[in-house]
Formats: sequence, C-alpha cells, structure tokens
Amino acid sequence: MKHTGIMKGEMNTKIDGLLTRIIERNVNGETYAWLLNKAADLNGKNNKDQLTIIFTSIPRKTGKKEIVIEETEAKEINAILPGFRIDHWTIDRLSRVWLLIQLEIDDKEKYISQIESLFSQAEMNELVALYSSLPLLSYPDAWKLRCAEGIRSNIGTVLEAIMYHNPYPSTYLDELAWNQLVMKAFFTNKNVNNIVGLDARANANLANTLFDYVEERWSANRTVNPQIWRLTTAYFDEPHLYMIEKLFNEADETDREAAALTCAESTNAKLNLLLDQHPQYKEAVAEKRLSWQVIADKQIF
Amino acid sequence: MSCSTDERETAETQKSIPLDLDAIKGMRFFDPHIHMVSRTTDDYQAMGDAGIVAVIEPAFWLGQPRTGVDTFRDYYSSLIGWERFRASQFGIKHYCTIGLNSREANNQKLAEQVMEILPLFIYKEGVVGVGEIGFDDQTPAEEKYYRLQLELAKEAGLPVQIHTPHRDKKKGTQRSMDIAIEHGLNPYSVIVDHNNEETVKEVLERGFWAAFTIYPFTKMGNERMVEIVKQYGTERIIVNSAADWGISDPLAVPKTAALMKIRGIDVKDIDLVCFRNAIIAFGQSGQIIESDFEEVQNLDQSKKFEGNSVLRGGQAPRINKSSLIIS
Repeated sequence: MKHTGIMKGEMNTKIDGLLTRIIERNVNGETYAWLLNKAADLNGKNNKDQLTIIFTSIPRKTGKKEIVIEETEAKEINAILPGFRIDHWTIDRLSRVWLLIQLEIDDKEKYISQIESLFSQAEMNELVALYSSLPLLSYPDAWKLRCAEGIRSNIGTVLEAIMYHNPYPSTYLDELAWNQLVMKAFFTNKNVNNIVGLDARANANLANTLFDYVEERWSANRTVNPQIWRLTTAYFDEPHLYMIEKLFNEADETDREAAALTCAESTNAKLNLLLDQHPQYKEAVAEKRLSWQVIADKQIF
Repeated sequence: MSCSTDERETAETQKSIPLDLDAIKGMRFFDPHIHMVSRTTDDYQAMGDAGIVAVIEPAFWLGQPRTGVDTFRDYYSSLIGWERFRASQFGIKHYCTIGLNSREANNQKLAEQVMEILPLFIYKEGVVGVGEIGFDDQTPAEEKYYRLQLELAKEAGLPVQIHTPHRDKKKGTQRSMDIAIEHGLNPYSVIVDHNNEETVKEVLERGFWAAFTIYPFTKMGNERMVEIVKQYGTERIIVNSAADWGISDPLAVPKTAALMKIRGIDVKDIDLVCFRNAIIAFGQSGQIIESDFEEVQNLDQSKKFEGNSVLRGGQAPRINKSSLIIS
C-alpha cells in the first residue's frame, strides 16, 4: 500500500486530466487560460515567491463557488484514489490543488521546499487546499510530519481537510499520529464516518485510549460519541465489558444501537452472547438495517 | 493603537450615561481598526451582540519590540489564520491590513527582512490594505519604510491605512499626506487614522479619508465625535475603536452610534460613519464582499447549532455568564 518514491505516475496523470476537465467546466475561458499560463510559467522559473503569489491569488481569478461535478467523475476519482472525494470543494480549492500537481518534481529538494514554504505562510483557505492536496503530492513520505502538525490545528475547516475524504493520513501516518487524528476528531465532534480507513486502522493502543476517554466523560456526566465503539470491537477485555452493558441499560437509543453493533462485530464471546439478550437489535443488525453509517446519518455534526 | 500610560490625559469629564444600546438595536457596525489578538472571547461575544458584523485588524506592534523576522511572519499568519477563524466563531467577518509599523521601522536590520516578506502577505485573501504605517517618532528610518510601503500599496492596488503620531500630531499628519501625494497615491485610497479636531479639516479638504479612534483618555471621546459629525457631516469620515492591549473599548463603535442617536444624529448618517464608509474606503481593495458578513453569521449559527468546529472538547461557544455554575 505504501509508495515511498516518486508518485507522479499513472495515477497523477489520470487525476490531472480529470481535475483539468472539471476546472475547465467550472471557470470561464479567460480564467482557464490564466491558470494554464501560470502553471506553465511556474516551471520556467526557479522562484518560490512566484509560486506563492500565483497560489495566493487564485480565488481572485476563479471566485469561490462550489464546483459542479458529474457523478461519473466522482466515481472515476474514487476508482483512481479510493476514498478521495472533491464533490463539495470550492473552485479556488480545486484550482490550488491542481496547481500543485503541475509542479515539476524531478528536483526533490526544491519541490519539497516550495510546498513547505506555502504551508509556512498560508491563510486558512490556503491551508485547506494544501492539506487536501496531500494524497496527490509526490514524495508522500515527506509530508508525514506536516500532516501530523495539521492535526494539531484548532481551525475546523483545516481539520476537516485532513480528516474528511482524504486518503493520505490512513495510508502514511504512523500509529501515534493516526491515533491523534482519531482522538482529535472525537474531541472536536467531527463526523468520523468521513475518515478514510477508520476501521482498517483500528488498533489496541487507540482502543485503550478510547476506553479511558469514555470513563473520563462518564465521570463528568458527559455523553460519548457512539462511533467510538466501532474502534474497540476487536479489543474488548474483561474490565471494559461493563461499558456495553451500561449502554444497553442506561443510555439512549443510538447508544443501544451502537452497543448492538459492537457486540455483533466483537471478537469477544461474552459480547456476542450479550446481543442474544436484545433480540430486536440483533435482528436489525442481521437484516443490515443497523450500521455505523446509519448511526452517523442520525448524528448531528 | 494606544500610547503609553505616561501620555494618558486625565478624563475630561466624569459624567456618565448608563450603558443602553437599545437605541441602535438592529443596526450593523463595522469597526475598521481593532487589534483582536489582544482581546478575549468575551469581547467577541459582546461585539457580536452589539451588532458588530465585521472588523479590520491592522498589523501593528505588540507592546514590545520583536527581535526576529519569524515572529513577524507568525504574527501576519495569525492575522489571516487563527484570528480570522476565532472571529468567525462569533459571527464576525475579520479582515486585516498588513504592514511594518512605524515603531519597529526604527530597527533597520529587522525592517529590511520584514520588507522582504510583506509581498508574500499583502495578496492574501481578506487583506484590505497596507497598514498601519506612517510616523511615530518621525525619524528618517520611519520615513524610509513608510515610502517603501506606499510603493508596495500602489503596486498591489491596495488602500493605505495611516497611523498618525501621538506627539506632534498635526505636523506628522501633514507630512504623512504630503509624502503619500508625492508618491502618486490617490488621497481617496488613503485612510488617515487617529484624527482629532486639529487635523480633520485639512485631511478632508485634501481628499483623504478621516478616521477617528474612540479610545478613552488618550484619543477621542465619543461626545467629541458627535460634535465632529455635526460639524463636518459624514463624507469620508469613519469611526473606530483601535481597541488593543491598553485600556480601550471594543464596543466604542456601537457606543458612539448610540450616543449619536441620543444626540439627534440621523440613523442614515450614523450608518455611514459607523458602517458604510469603512466598506467604501477599504472595499477599494476588492476584498470586501458584503454578503460574506451574512455568510459568516449563518455559518456561525449553523456551527453553533450543529456543534461543529467548536473549539475544544465540543463545548458550546456561548457560556451563561450570569450563572455561578460552570459546566
């Protein structure tokens, strides 16, 4: 799954073609020509400031409307880069990401320092575009620390650019940084259902941190996001079984549904048995009327 | 921006009118000069409640001199990043002006480095001018960087926000205007700030915008402001708070509006000096879109309603300040 070298291969050529087509349809002819010209200029000059100024001034040319994208295009993007979605992007965000994939990549050091320099003086919307571009950038290993840094942001839109429909974090982040991302998502009440690779990267350390977090919330008489439990199903041990019983007995309907899903998916035999005591939920799970997606759709974010 | 405490005059009048903003309920205000980095979330909340829908935060100094270019870079970044986000959480649209202030222009070695990074920031979204620049001690170094930044503003097609000095104000103001004209700037694109009764006439006659800072003790009081509007009308006149880390008032604009209303100034005129004129002046940057004010408010309400993007731990952004219980 990991790419360690230059990534500008078949994938980027395909994505580039698609994004170019989408941009062409979403801007007027003059703006489209401006973008193409600037992208061509960019590679002619050995000048960081030039890139900064083009990157920065994009919304002045493109405006900031949400793009219109065909369903087939969205599917095509997802086929090339699973989990990656741009459907609700604004045109300036898409154009900025597109600009970055026009950069020449042969000189690794230059390429990385150009992009790092954009990060270092970016405003909010620029940060959103920069973090959105991570899965498309070359030398993917070079952006791990940057991505981890982004997770420390407290700006909602920046966090969402990293967390939502972005396949970079689950592919490249180490466990510590990944767990930070997931915890931060719960702490800031994000829709974790939009995190690419959420279930695949569940791990014991994360589950234990989440158990502690739940106990802390409960001690403070606060509720917890029912999506938490999907990350614990493989890691239930004796001392934490009471949590699921508590959900069935004391919590609200959504929590009971989450408890039922947890029991069904759990590797713990006692939890599997516990579900038998709640036949109506067992049935709902079996008939696939109940899923984490169904729960996410009921939640308010 | 404030001056130091030793320059503080004693309050001219001790009379007090109970604070009541009912007179201006439903009006919208724009405070085009306020240093929000020094203000708390309580201030943002009170500002939103009082009808302030947009602010401009000019780049200035931070009360003590910076020692390296990186702290300037981070400061400018915070004006277009974190501070803008913070404001949006309270339904307030945040713009800024970017520049090297006159005080720190006197550290020439650092000033050179700051000049190099300014072009990277002035084209950012929501940067509505080069500012606040001008004179403080009126030294040759201040003049040098003032001139360089006027050229930068001209090249970028941005308005200029001029800080006029506390000491020797009248001469400093005249000199600032002379130099701006010498550099070929259109006075209509230059906002001269911190005016008083002594400077306003010439500023207006020469075609510049005249901004007034309602700042307790050291600058204008709002009763004096009412008289200025009665005498000079509303054309090219702007009211601001310049609230910062000194004893200042982030509600200076709505309070002044309320006082104007009580003292018989027409609502249309209040709207001009406390809202519209700032948009006309700084809107010359092409960066102010009025519909954004509502968008940030809707966004904020939906954020509050949906509980999304609330800063830490998902707590509600609005706290009940009249309750002893903190939950």
